[in-house]
Formats: sequence, structure tokens, C-alpha cells
Amino acid sequence: MKLVDSIKKDFNTMTWVLIPVAIAINVVIGEIVALLKLPVYLDSIGTVLVAALCGPWAGALTGALSNTIWGLLIDPNALPWWPVALFIGFVAGWCARGGLFKSWWKVAIAGFLVALTAALVSTPIAVYIYGGITASGSSFLTAYLLQTGQSLLPAVLITNNVVEPFDKISTSLLAFAIIQGLSTRFLARFPRPENVQTEGGITRTQIIIAVVVVIVVIAFYILVISKLVSQ
Amino acid sequence: MHERLSFYIKRESLLHNLNPLTKLFLAFGLTFISFLSPWYWTPHLIILLMIVPLSFIGRVQREYFSAALRLILPATIFLFVMQALFQPNGKTVIFQVWFLHVTSESLAFAFENASRIFAMVSSFTLFLLTTHPSELMSDLTRRGLPSQFAYVIISTIQIIPQMQSKAQTIIAAQRSRGLDTEGSFLKRIGALVPLVGPLVFGSLVEVEERAIAIEARGFTSPNQKTSLHEFRDTGFDKGLRWVLVLLAFVVIFLKFWLSQTRP
Repeated sequence: MKLVDSIKKDFNTMTWVLIPVAIAINVVIGEIVALLKLPVYLDSIGTVLVAALCGPWAGALTGALSNTIWGLLIDPNALPWWPVALFIGFVAGWCARGGLFKSWWKVAIAGFLVALTAALVSTPIAVYIYGGITASGSSFLTAYLLQTGQSLLPAVLITNNVVEPFDKISTSLLAFAIIQGLSTRFLARFPRPENVQTEGGITRTQIIIAVVVVIVVIAFYILVISKLVSQ
Repeated sequence: MHERLSFYIKRESLLHNLNPLTKLFLAFGLTFISFLSPWYWTPHLIILLMIVPLSFIGRVQREYFSAALRLILPATIFLFVMQALFQPNGKTVIFQVWFLHVTSESLAFAFENASRIFAMVSSFTLFLLTTHPSELMSDLTRRGLPSQFAYVIISTIQIIPQMQSKAQTIIAAQRSRGLDTEGSFLKRIGALVPLVGPLVFGSLVEVEERAIAIEARGFTSPNQKTSLHEFRDTGFDKGLRWVLVLLAFVVIFLKFWLSQTRP
């Protein structure tokens, strides 16, 4: 029973106590970002944090519960998106297990992978529940693409792919910054402290490499997307 | 400043006395039917003939209507306007704003969708108004839900308002130090760190203490835990749950059947 063991390993008492705090972090940072009127959501920092420290299964659970509780108690529009949050936690957890949470530029790549998953999973939800137009601001782009003659599914997919990378890369980088600020003794109590054991090297150079990686990835990405749009 | 996260209103009524699980089934059932029903007017009929009377039966009509007017209606109207403007399908153009066409088809679609969302949120509001969260969790734990899940949900409900008020304190404190939260874009990005940092680290420090505290109280103990509350689960409850499950299947069947007979 390898799968059951892998699931069980994710959950110790620290995990169960961290999950509610992580959900609250999701909600409250989401609100702070809305207050600062920044063009991102940053509402899954807690989920990524749990995924990195405790593993994919705990991350998935945190994401799903986060959106469910958020939807039921604060903003009903968050409710249908729980599969997206679930996959964000799941993919971030596997990235961490694959060693992508050990230095800044690797975290940027992990954020990009998470963003691709989020875009892929949120597309059918946006299309089938909201008919493509959701209550968020990015729907202006979808509407514009629809008017230029794109059909519904690609229009939503392109919109999501444009919006998500910025959000998810900054989410992962912020979660990594939080982990960097915690003591090794504290981290060691979580199920998978080896995920976030940082590689040696000067932090400043690493951050510069991370910025370069982000710019290169996004530039390449915009190129691909614009090719797709012009088709 | 910080809103109460539990909507529960303590009253004596038929709805309050139902088993929590039955009420949960009811909320999911109504949502399911209004989303999957093949007839256009189902969500509207569910709101008028089920949810409004239920709010009177539960004697929470005042609270329900105030929530509906203050929270649910604005959100659904916003969704309605967005969808009416942006839905591309439909030929009969009613009027045009810039590059956006409002057609009678998109209006009809937006109206149906908005009322589905309204029905969904309403039925869960009713559920939350008449059910105490810890009552639901103890009932579900008794039926075999791992107690860890109950802990996560109950403690999240408690932590979110605490953390919201902590965030308010931090924002006020940093602003009084002269932190610019309304300036240019770069300044607002810069403001993120001094706001998020203290909040996150402050709450993560408590995690370890809390873990030790609940472990000392037998959190991971595999023994059967006893409950302080008693549960009512009458035959009427069981019957109602079966009826709701049956209705859900009927709706799925009708949906497939009608979509196949129709060209």
C-alpha cells in the first residue's frame, strides 16, 4: 500500500493544526491584496505553504477546504472553484517533492507549473458554470477575444493562461519567502522538512537568477500565446 | 470591524429540529436540482416555492431576507450584468454598448444563471442560519467522519475572524507609521511585505503551541470519543433524505431523456 502510506505521511498533528491557519492566511492575504488594489489574487499562499511543508495530499485538502469554507461563509462566488484550489495544492506538493522548493529560481518554475494546472482546471468550470464569463475582471479579455471571433473554449483558456502565471509565480515566491523566514527547528516538526532544505549559495545572486528566469519564462510564454491567438 | 462568521440564529422551529445532515442534504439537493433541471423556470420556482416558505418555517425569514438583499442580490445582479453584456451567443440584438451586444438570448441565459446562483447561495444561507457548525460536525463525526476534519473546519471558522481583526490592527499600525497603502503601484507592492510578514509569522508561531496542546488532549488517540450532545435522527429525517436523493436521480434522468428526445 504505497499510496496509502504516502497519504498518511502527509498528516501529523502539525499538519492538522497548520491547515486551518493556512486557510485563514489564504482568506486574509486575499483581502489585504484586494485592499491594496493589486492586479493579482494571491489567495493560495497558505495552500502552497502546506503543500511544500506537508506534501501534495495535505495541500490538496487545504485548497479544497479553503474554497469551500470561503464560499460558504464569505463570498459565494469562490465555491465553484474548489477543484482549482485542490489541484493547486496537489501540483505544488509534487513540485516540492520533486525538489523545486529549494531555491528561488526553481520556485519560480514550480509557480509556473502550478499556473498551467490552474488555468487548465479552471477553464471547464468557467465555461460550464458561468458560460465563460465570470464575475472577475479578467472576463473583459475573454469578452474581447469572443468578439474577435474566437470560440468560447479557446477564449477562456487563453484568458486563464494570461492571468494565472503572474499570480501563481508570485504566490509561490511569497510562500517560499515565508518558509525562508521560519527556523529550521520549527520546520523540522512538519512531515516533509527535507522538501524545503535550501541549497547553498548567496541569496542575492539567487534572487537575481530567479527574476531572470521569470522574465524569460513569461516572455517565451507570451510569444506562444500570441501565436495561438493570431491563428 | 470583524464580522461574525457564524450565521446561526438560535430559535425553536421545525427546521432547527431537523437532523443537521438532513438540512445539508436539503441544501445540496436544492442546488443540484436548480442547476441540472431541464426546465427554464425551475430555479425561480425553487426560490419562490421552496426557499422562501422554508425561511418562514425555520422562523429566520427576517435574517434570510436581510442577507438576501444585502449580500446575495448585489452579487447575483453583478453576475447578471457581466453575463448579459459579454455573452456572445444570440442573434436578436436589443442594444449595443461599445463592442458589446446585448441580445435577448444572452439576457435569458444571464437571468437563468443568476437565479441558479441565487438559489444555491440562498439554500446554503438557510442551512447556515438554522444549523450550528459544531452541531453538524459532531453529527458527521458520529457517522464516521474522521475527527481531524471536524477539528479543521471548526477551528478555521474560529481562526478567520481572529486573523481578520489582527490584519486590521497591523494595517492601522503600519499606516500610523506612515506606510503608504494608496500610492503608486510600486508603493502598494512594497506595502505588501510589512503587512503580510507580521501577520503570517505571528500566526505560524502559534501553530506549534496549539499542536502540543491538542496532542496532550488525546487528538491522535484512536479510541472512540464520546459526545456531549445528543442527536435527533427521526424517521422523518431519514425519509426526507431518501426523497431528496431520489429527486436528484429523477432530475438527472429527465435531463438525459429530454436532451435525447429533443433534436
